[in-house]
Amino acid sequence: MKLTVTHTLTCPLASPSRAVEHVLLTALSTPQQRVERWSIEMPGFADAATFRDGFGNKAYLVSQTKPGDTLRVTVSGTVETIDRAGVLGRLEYDPPPAMFRRPTRQTKPDAALIDGIDPSGGRIAALHEIMGRLHEGRAAMHQSQSAGVQEQASGSAPADLAHAFIGAARALDIPARYVTGYLLDEDGAASFHAWGEAFDEGLGWIGFDALLNVCPTERHIRLAAGLDAIGTMPVRMVPASTEVPAETIEIVEG
Amino acid sequence: MPGPSAFDEMTNADGSVREPYRVLEQWLKEQKPQALGLMAADAEGIFRRLGITFAVYGSNEGTEKLIPFDIIPRIISAIEWRKLSKGIEQRVRALNAFLHDIYHRQEILKAGRVPEKLILNNSAFCPEMMGLDPARGIYSHIIGVDLVRVSPDEWYVLEDNLRTPSGVSYMLEDREAMLQLAPDLFQRTKVAPVETYPENLRRTLESVAPRGASGSPTLAVLTPGIYNSAYFEHSFLADQMGAELCEGQDLFVENGKVYMRTTTGPRRVDVIYRRIDDDYLDPLTFKPDSMLGVPGLFDAYRAGNVTLVNAPGTGIADDKAVYTYVPEIIEFYLGEKALLSNVPTYNCTKPDERAYVLEHIAELVVKEVHGSGGYGMLVGPTSTREQHELFRNKIIERPDNYIVQPTLALSTCPTYVDAGIAPRHVDLRPYVLVGDQIRITPGGLTRVALKEGSLVVNSSQGGGTKDTWVLED
Repeated sequence: MKLTVTHTLTCPLASPSRAVEHVLLTALSTPQQRVERWSIEMPGFADAATFRDGFGNKAYLVSQTKPGDTLRVTVSGTVETIDRAGVLGRLEYDPPPAMFRRPTRQTKPDAALIDGIDPSGGRIAALHEIMGRLHEGRAAMHQSQSAGVQEQASGSAPADLAHAFIGAARALDIPARYVTGYLLDEDGAASFHAWGEAFDEGLGWIGFDALLNVCPTERHIRLAAGLDAIGTMPVRMVPASTEVPAETIEIVEG
Repeated sequence: MPGPSAFDEMTNADGSVREPYRVLEQWLKEQKPQALGLMAADAEGIFRRLGITFAVYGSNEGTEKLIPFDIIPRIISAIEWRKLSKGIEQRVRALNAFLHDIYHRQEILKAGRVPEKLILNNSAFCPEMMGLDPARGIYSHIIGVDLVRVSPDEWYVLEDNLRTPSGVSYMLEDREAMLQLAPDLFQRTKVAPVETYPENLRRTLESVAPRGASGSPTLAVLTPGIYNSAYFEHSFLADQMGAELCEGQDLFVENGKVYMRTTTGPRRVDVIYRRIDDDYLDPLTFKPDSMLGVPGLFDAYRAGNVTLVNAPGTGIADDKAVYTYVPEIIEFYLGEKALLSNVPTYNCTKPDERAYVLEHIAELVVKEVHGSGGYGMLVGPTSTREQHELFRNKIIERPDNYIVQPTLALSTCPTYVDAGIAPRHVDLRPYVLVGDQIRITPGGLTRVALKEGSLVVNSSQGGGTKDTWVLED
């Protein structure tokens, strides 16, 4: 499926004399996606340093002198996605998977989520079971409360679910990582998204999207992977943005 | 009292004097009764003028203190030193190879020689360092190895300090003071120089400049500032090697490169000898609220535009829990047996070893895995029953947080104290520089426990220092 993304971020600033950003907004070609074109526009981008970070992502270090009171970032690209039932496999720059058993503050495991699950009976089945439980738990929560309020109260639902999934997988000794990307849902709505990937010796990395209760499809575009949301922030900046950045995301077919 | 088993580095059990100390012993005999007292008073004057102080955390009376200097040097023969320095060199080679492996393919973990979880789940492991190739493949360029001696031929490594070891300024100033106090003593015997350290440090830093840096790279010493306990040392070293002393706010990142603000405009910086802990180095990558670091510094390093000395994440190789695996690490990377021994260490997470520790705590030394500077440790034989009980409970509560070692009979050296010259326990921290070559300054910093019978040499716990001599052939 060919998808064209346009993503703009507008970050309010307190007019600092200097601003520096770590940018993780680059889609790379993988067995699940072929990137036809990809570009990032923001002040200072032409002089940015680019490198692979410790997690195999393509990162940019961008800076501005006197950036003013807003910083605008525009990402646009076209990607041909391929549905491989969520199997990403192994990527050239992947660090050893064992590293992704490391617990972090954001991925504390929830004992109830893995209660009774035995991965020795099949890793992939166990991971599907965790994903299913997370999805059901969320659906139940939605029915009992007004969905709109719940959505606002819990921050970002995809991030929380991805963290819960990863924490559970790691608690079962399965390497798991946090993945950022874009999602075009069945209704045509586009969003910045997050899901988990878990490692299987045979198949390599496999994606699990607990929000949708599916393995990533051709409606997912993958950006970056890391230990948790903090390590994969699309734009981390110093000084920090004074408010949550305003965002628009549009994804069209073709 | 030093136990009867403690090895004295000057005097044999039969009262005869060991070879390296013969000249010193003769010289001491020749001194008039008052001379040493006067010399000790002079020494204090010299250090006050030099302004060397250190901060003691948790003390009530003013935080700035003078580290006591003992006027009697500690002496190591050329043969002893050659043996010792070979062992040190082997250790730092292996530990740098270990760091390279841990941050790349992790062969040692795949081979099962070091437990995977011990490394990958360790807070000292820095995932951000994965796959990074530092200049010359070196991670820890400046190392201080803590050693203790128990007999003429037996030295033990207490710990490998691979992060930001301090104290080298005391080594230099101790020599400076000794040269002023007893110039005649240096006429009688050949002592290997330590004064070359700042020059060797500069060469080492220049040799690891990133590719593309000019022939004479710009060096900076990055300090947390004047409130840091080792600020004196930061400014001293910068001054001695002709580098700029900077705080985080003096540096900035632009276009992926690091610059320092100068009166004549920004100047590109190639190598940073940082004395700021990993977590505070760069708010863009590590602790977001750090005011001490430089935003973007780590990314600039990752992009190959600046060298950080030492590299972030070196703490995984001197972690107290990893320490027990160093002999294994040396064998794995160098195919050699370790030349220097580790202190036998009990692992409290193993039930049988824990049981032994809990029963024999009064004879043992307990250290916190992430502690340093002698804080939060227990020396069984010199502690009270209440303290033993306290540490027993601490170990039961968090067995993984402590390592336990037998109390070693640390060697003693003659030391000038109120009662005259008496043996006191010492340790040794030699300083190692790793760049285009490995340079080990002959000697190092000798710390001495000034309290009679005490085995704790840390300056924060009432220890002093001595000039350390390595005799030349």
